[in-house]
Amino acid sequence: MPTLRDAGVALFAISYDSIEILSAFARKHGITFALLSDHGSRVIRQLGLVNERVQDDHAHYGIASNARHVGLPYPGVFALDERGIIVQKRFHESYRVRDTGASLVDQTLGGLLTIQPDEAVHEEEAVRVRVWLDSPTYAFFQRLRVNVEISVAPGFHLYGQPAPAGFVPLSVQVAPIENVEIGAAEWPTPHQFHVDGLDEKFWAHEGTVHTSLPLTFSAPPGAGDHVVNVTVSYQACSDSACLAPASVSRSLPVREVALVGRELPARDR
Amino acid sequence: MPLPARDFTKIGPNEGERFPDLQLPDQSGIMVDLHAARGSRKALVVFYRSADW
Repeated sequence: MPTLRDAGVALFAISYDSIEILSAFARKHGITFALLSDHGSRVIRQLGLVNERVQDDHAHYGIASNARHVGLPYPGVFALDERGIIVQKRFHESYRVRDTGASLVDQTLGGLLTIQPDEAVHEEEAVRVRVWLDSPTYAFFQRLRVNVEISVAPGFHLYGQPAPAGFVPLSVQVAPIENVEIGAAEWPTPHQFHVDGLDEKFWAHEGTVHTSLPLTFSAPPGAGDHVVNVTVSYQACSDSACLAPASVSRSLPVREVALVGRELPARDR
Repeated sequence: MPLPARDFTKIGPNEGERFPDLQLPDQSGIMVDLHAARGSRKALVVFYRSADW
């Protein structure tokens, strides 16, 4: 994962596997970051990360129980700052849903990394919209995020929700895709905004706003490539005037890849 | 019936705390002290199921 290294971020991946298993895994996949072996799960236990309910969970997710479920950690990530302080942690319910490395980085250390080059940019008076996926590929049951960044020129704002009557609030729509769960956009908190002459208060965004929506690919392997159609709607206003409401639509291709160590089933192309 | 939602903020060390010291061997068998190896860099510490299954 060279982008992490370029950003000066150290990466440590911890599992209960033996050194031998990790060594073989690293060789096979060309991994150069640290795979730490917590064989026996001593550290996982000390940190309170053992999934005691894993038997129930696995039954729930349709996975037969097994001795190797003993001492399993909850899957997740801690993001540490320069002093080693935990600035964010993120854990999952299910072992089958995994963030991509890029997604974890974007979520946890947001803004630290340069954005993937595979992005769509729309620029017009006062507003710049960038739309990108955090990976151009997906694997079965992986989670990707659709990222949207909207920058508005100084002196302008974009309405959040609720917007004043007659104005278009900032929103992002992702067109439905078969067997892809599309989560809700997470927005930063808008500023409260007062319009002279109106009693109501409104919510507005200024500067640069970033949001993302999770996509979970739940079709069995072999579902094939998809196109993610994203539409961003907004209206930019200054204190004295508003630009016309606008919508930017972009299509982002995402290619299916096999799970690590597996082949995609054959299919007609 | 879905399982009841879990409060993941209560699992493991908390945000705002220093990540605990730990020493574990890496894939080459070399003992790694997490904070020493990190130096003054930011870090991601990922816990995952297994590389084996």
